[in-house]
Amino acid sequence: MFNKSKNYEPILQECKQLKKEINCDFVGFAFQNTIGPDIKWHIAAGNHNEKYKLISVRYGKGIAGRVISTGRAMTIEDFPHHIIGKVLEYPIMLAEKLVYSHAVPVYYKEAAKGVLLVGNRSNKQLSREDVLIVQAASNKIEKIISC
Amino acid sequence: MERGPERNINQYLLQSSEDEIKRIALELHEGVAQTLFSIYTGIQLLETSTEDIKMKNYVREMAEVLERTIQEIRYLSVELHPPTLSTIGFFPALQSYLKLYTSTFGIVVDIEQAGEEIPLPVNHRIGLFRVCQEALANIAKYADSAKIKLQLNWEHHRVQILIQDFGIGFDVDAHIESHGLAAMAERMKLIGGDCIITSQLGKGTTIRLELGFASNVNGEGEKV
Ligand SMILES: Nc1ncnc2c1ncn2[C@@H]1O[C@H](COP(=O)(O)OP(=O)(O)OP(=O)(O)O)[C@@H](O)[C@H]1O
Ligand SMILES: [Mg+2]
Repeated sequence: MFNKSKNYEPILQECKQLKKEINCDFVGFAFQNTIGPDIKWHIAAGNHNEKYKLISVRYGKGIAGRVISTGRAMTIEDFPHHIIGKVLEYPIMLAEKLVYSHAVPVYYKEAAKGVLLVGNRSNKQLSREDVLIVQAASNKIEKIISC
Repeated sequence: MERGPERNINQYLLQSSEDEIKRIALELHEGVAQTLFSIYTGIQLLETSTEDIKMKNYVREMAEVLERTIQEIRYLSVELHPPTLSTIGFFPALQSYLKLYTSTFGIVVDIEQAGEEIPLPVNHRIGLFRVCQEALANIAKYADSAKIKLQLNWEHHRVQILIQDFGIGFDVDAHIESHGLAAMAERMKLIGGDCIITSQLGKGTTIRLELGFASNVNGEGEKV
């Protein structure tokens, strides 16, 4: 499980490193709370405001909610165009004014319990190598929270 | 004024769609969510009664998915039509919606209420609630404001609601015919109230809603 006092620093470093490596505008990490079913954004890099701290990811909704409910990666190319559901179902995109985002699940004990999201405030896309780097970062985070 | 029949039919259409929304919200909240909750407690019992560790984890996982689904259904019903809106009152319904709003969008809402709530006819409460919802949705979508100030003033002859954001602002005149804003004005008019929007670029936007109590538009005021 994500343990704030123990895992915060190493995951923050991981997010910052990822942001630099793929040169994106925003990186966020959300994970299920220790108690109860709530999934919160615990860590962000490149954020414009503190809204993410108050946001609970709605299960099955938006990019983060869907990544967790399906356990699969998801990409939004050109928000608010060509999205599933309503604009209001994408709070993190709205809060951070993201146009492009790519999110991958973070697994804990074989279940998707969190999400690692990278985003741009323009429609600049990730390259194929960047996508692999994001996946690798998610795997590193999984290692951090598993011990 | 030739608006009579047209307004009546608009009101009828609005009323029937609101009735349907309310029915769905109640069914979700009282029906589906309750049934899922019974299943949830059953699954918890299964979890404690099995010794097999693998099975235990699997069952726990299922219970968690169910718990989140129940929560999401409850949230959905609050967004559609808060259960308290037509029973307890406008303010408690607004409060439960605002709590959900903050945890969904990360925008803090400072609420201040002056005076005591006057029990309004249900369709007036629904009208006010929808207009507040639209104003708040616009803030989440466009304003880029981390905070909202919401004031409710219950005076002896009217209620006034102020919704203020501190975001980018916009040119109101250029957008006044846009559907969302026009619908806010129209819904307030239908219940005999007013919606006044002011905005300053770079400073933010204020929505002022006013509704007199004596007004009983088209005799529809008491309809529930
Ligand atoms: N609080 C606000 N801050 C900044 N801009 C706003 C605000 N409210 C509305 N606007 C601007 O006014 C425009 C019109 O708003 P309106 O609610 O009519 O349309 P919409 O929200 O884009 O679409 P709809 O409401 O039909 O889903 C918006 O596109 C936006 O540019
Ligand atoms: Mg709107």
